[in-house]
Amino acid sequence: MSISTSPAPPRPQVAETTRPVRHEPPIIVFQNVSKTYHNGAAAIRDVSFTIPPRDFVFVVGASGAGKSTIIRLLIREETATKGHVLVEGQDLARLRRRHLPRLRRKMGIVFQDFKLLPNLTVAQNVAFAIQVTDPGRSHLKEKVGEALYIVGLEDKLNTFPTELSGGEQQRVAIARALVHRPRIFLADEPTGNLDPDAGWGIVQLLLQINHRGATVVMATHNREVVDLCRRRVLAMEGGCLIRDEQEGQYLKDGEANL
Amino acid sequence: MNPVPALRFVVRVALQNIVRNRGIAFASLLTVTLTLLGAGAAVGVVFALDKVLQQEESQASVLKVFMADHISFASALNLEHTLASEPSVQSASFENKDQAAAQASSTLGLGGALHILETSGGGNPLPASINLHLKNIAAVTAINNQVSTSDLLFPGPHQTDYNKDVIPRVEHYILAAQLGGAILVAVVGAVALVIITISVRTAAFVRRQEIEIMKLVGATDWFVRWPFILEGLILGVISALLASGVLLGVGVAFGSGGSLALGVGVQLAVLISLGLILGGAVLGSFGSLVGIRRSLAT
Repeated sequence: MSISTSPAPPRPQVAETTRPVRHEPPIIVFQNVSKTYHNGAAAIRDVSFTIPPRDFVFVVGASGAGKSTIIRLLIREETATKGHVLVEGQDLARLRRRHLPRLRRKMGIVFQDFKLLPNLTVAQNVAFAIQVTDPGRSHLKEKVGEALYIVGLEDKLNTFPTELSGGEQQRVAIARALVHRPRIFLADEPTGNLDPDAGWGIVQLLLQINHRGATVVMATHNREVVDLCRRRVLAMEGGCLIRDEQEGQYLKDGEANL
Repeated sequence: MNPVPALRFVVRVALQNIVRNRGIAFASLLTVTLTLLGAGAAVGVVFALDKVLQQEESQASVLKVFMADHISFASALNLEHTLASEPSVQSASFENKDQAAAQASSTLGLGGALHILETSGGGNPLPASINLHLKNIAAVTAINNQVSTSDLLFPGPHQTDYNKDVIPRVEHYILAAQLGGAILVAVVGAVALVIITISVRTAAFVRRQEIEIMKLVGATDWFVRWPFILEGLILGVISALLASGVLLGVGVAFGSGGSLALGVGVQLAVLISLGLILGGAVLGSFGSLVGIRRSLAT
């Protein structure tokens, strides 16, 4: 493995990423997607976009703008009320429940609250993702070691999450999401609970994951990170997609604060 | 998926669940043991009652058909064979007048009166009879009606003799005991099911983050379910073993003469224990399935 990171790389260094492959069929498609919850609240309205393989996309917007709903629709934790969500050409509304695990194994998912098991060590947390999906998989230790090497925590194998900083805990969550070598990496506010340095380290890591060939979708309201990275931006406001911009910024000139 | 490591994982997680949630596990173990104890005792009592009632029934299922004095021995035997071939008749035996007199002398103390009658030239007034043992108490009335029309019978209103009052009462008791036992077992079973469901639901709540992560990383629903099912199965079987042990202990302590308390035989006790273990296993697994359903809904 040639890629390694330090826990808190200096800013504003931005890692190299691959360019999205626009001649290939899109890996993610939103077609006029609306989502209304049971209480009648509309989370997103008529949202359409496509994401080509190996793209890096920020979904930005204020709280309640619909960023997390997009992530939840992509992992099919929710289904669209209207429109179609397609992942690798598969319409998620038509996906049978028993095929859902297969979809999720293609994806790496991290959240703001890390979702680590406190009674398991770092290595056990990462191994957990393999044990519950493919318990007979060989070279478990090697795969866990490799994932932890990528996130720069190879020396914390036997440490418990409570003994780690927030940034390190998020790295463990990323390592756990990486063990299946996902083609799509989804991050819902991964820097939300972190100080700026730790948050920047996580973004660097996601850029490197993108560089390794994964499509990354990151929901965030971290303006500094978005503006520094200059990647594609999908800006949400009140459940609507108001801007889809290549090499975009958190706010467009003259745009009100999201 | 390789089944051996998967099984190892499921067993490990199930045992971990029990150890981690040992307070809840102990409470459910205790309550399920008590409910299964109630169910086992109820089954034992019903079987014991049924046994008593069966004895009553077999006694009430005897039909005595009195023969007319004028008929020949051959005719009497012919009627005996005819009745013995009836599907509802278990056995038929002929009792001649002398045997009837001897029986009346020994059981009713009528020896003196019969001797006086015989020496005074009155002869033996007791009729010969065919004693029928019927398979089922319900057949007594039908056979009685069938033989009443025969001209071979003793004249007068008492051609046959059977315990008319006991039959419906015994039938009623048997039905009530069976129905009561079934209701009791069903209620106790439902209580045990609810307790195991609550226990597993609590365990699933405690482990909700683990379940959430399992689902997010792509574990199948069945892989999430199995540890809980095994946990319920283990709790159900251990509860059943404890309940069986207590029941057998009490049965031996209060039993006598090769049988346990309430006259329950060893074979029946073993059957009840096996039934409880099977019941505990089914209740445990099914309760777990119901308990975990909500956690897998999303």
